[in-house]
Amino acid sequence: MRPILLAGHERALAQIKYNVDGDLIFSVSKDQQICAWFAHNGERLGTYHGHQGAIWTVDVDPTSTIIASGSADNTIRLWDIKSGKCLKTWEFPTAVKRVEFNEDGTKLLGVTEKRMGHLGTIVVLDVVVDVNAEQNDEKVLTIVCDESKATVAGWSYLSKYIIAGHEDGSVSQYDAKTGDLNFNIAIHELDCAITDLQWAPDRTYFITASKDKTAKLITADDLRVLKTYVSDTPLNSATITPKKDFVVLGGGQAAMDVTRTSARQGKFEARFYHKIFEDEIGRVRGHFGPLNYVAADPTGKGYASGSEDGYVRVHQFDKGYYDFVYEVERERQRELAV
Amino acid sequence: MAAPQATHDWADEVEDQEESPATVADLPPTQKIQNKDGSTTIIEYRYNDLNQKVKTTRRIRFITHREVVNPRVAERKRWAKFGLSAKDGPGPAADTTSVGENIIFKPSVNWRKDAKDESKDPNAQAMKDKLKDKKVKCRICNGEHFTARCPYKDTMAPIGETGGADVAAGLADEGPGAASVGAAGAGKKGSYVPPAMRGAGAGKAGESMGGKYGERDDLATLRVTNVSEMAEEGELRDMFERFGRVTRVFLAKDRDTGMAKGFAFISFADREDAQKACDKMDGWGFKHLILRVEFAKKAA
Repeated sequence: MRPILLAGHERALAQIKYNVDGDLIFSVSKDQQICAWFAHNGERLGTYHGHQGAIWTVDVDPTSTIIASGSADNTIRLWDIKSGKCLKTWEFPTAVKRVEFNEDGTKLLGVTEKRMGHLGTIVVLDVVVDVNAEQNDEKVLTIVCDESKATVAGWSYLSKYIIAGHEDGSVSQYDAKTGDLNFNIAIHELDCAITDLQWAPDRTYFITASKDKTAKLITADDLRVLKTYVSDTPLNSATITPKKDFVVLGGGQAAMDVTRTSARQGKFEARFYHKIFEDEIGRVRGHFGPLNYVAADPTGKGYASGSEDGYVRVHQFDKGYYDFVYEVERERQRELAV
Repeated sequence: MAAPQATHDWADEVEDQEESPATVADLPPTQKIQNKDGSTTIIEYRYNDLNQKVKTTRRIRFITHREVVNPRVAERKRWAKFGLSAKDGPGPAADTTSVGENIIFKPSVNWRKDAKDESKDPNAQAMKDKLKDKKVKCRICNGEHFTARCPYKDTMAPIGETGGADVAAGLADEGPGAASVGAAGAGKKGSYVPPAMRGAGAGKAGESMGGKYGERDDLATLRVTNVSEMAEEGELRDMFERFGRVTRVFLAKDRDTGMAKGFAFISFADREDAQKACDKMDGWGFKHLILRVEFAKKAA
């Protein structure tokens, strides 16, 4: 496969999101702009300007009408995808590290940083998915994380729970209506921050990536660890590929350590693991900095990775990717065919 | 262009020229040439940031690839560009989008092994055959590789210096081809010989300088290769101590990673013990690898 290199950012990538149809890619980086790209040929649709600080996070609503972004300038902004106009700005006391729309796009959650005497919080905002509509100023819900700050969070199926990953390696389940903590379980090694949380297509389970060099598949209902994927480098991101039962992990040594170790120790590769068997089945190299985010195309045709080196690489899978099955899977198919 | 005014400074004039629209018109028009094989050559001219004229020649083959997409997706493809891309023409802009080199990605359970098999592909083999008679020779170990690629380059001095000599001699008999190279390297004419080593011969000089201890040390030293990356000096010591008193264990390690480099030297107090150890341990399985044990320097 020949990856498409997107060089729209001047600084390290923070997050990449595909829209539901898999034809648009949104990328954000520390250089204060959001880029929208066509996934099939890497053409840039446009850029969104207005943030005054590094942008940490972006998310697309399910109808691909608006996007939300969270930044180090302490705001969450809503943007019209088509025109690039900023529709709404919410201000917070500290930086916003993660935003996510719920399944029907009516609610938006934001994770705010713990800093300057403020505790880390998860806020929920009401959103109207309409470019011309007036957006509500008020927060619907604020969950304060007083023990360990939340680093990532997301909505479970039917917007029933809010699941948060914490800096101390634990995962919490909150009731999405009341904001009450249902339970908090230590999942990853103590004090190895959870760096990413991405959902399976049906949002009944999710994958977490952590600095403890593992990624775990966890159920939303009872936070049970289904699978563990062990790698040899701190992970920044993990995603579940649709169509094929794989997961993609991205990482590499921390950006601040890159210059202190030799390049061949970098391990700046996207690692593919089999979702069920937990085996590593291949790597894709290319970046020359740690991978900060990996995103799977919802149509299952490819994936994109964003790195500290400022590039987004969009990959379309070859035939060999689709053909790969385990021997036991092949036998099972044969049995079913008979 | 208008004639320059009398009061004009020459420096301004140059700048005026560069900024005037006339320069854009100076550029030859974009050419499109249809090639016989169906591809199109596009030659474009533009000025870069330094106001230098740049000619870009692109050879493109258009392949129509039909895909049925959701109407929503089709509609989005017609959207006007905005922001920094507002001025971009249709299609990917060259400054933001490029195509990377081809990556072979084939998921496989034993992908680690597959990656190593790349050396078996016919191209590499053909190249190897061609280079067989060329005799690339490493200055450090006399092996058939470039000095820069030498696995011992961080730990060994180039051949001729005493430090590297035992390795070189040891390596020389690894392959049938390498043997002759090694021998030739040692006695090569025209190579620099330090004054102290000239004349009577290196062996004698070394004897008188190093004394008896150094000689014995050399004679009872084993070179162990194909050692696992995970190996520790202690483990090697334990393994070899069974045969007699071990005076020194040296395991070459990578400076950055602290992992073993794959070879070690074991010195015995007694040559007979060393001989025993060599016979027993050559071919011994250690951490999934089969050790190769031989004397570091052949008994002269």
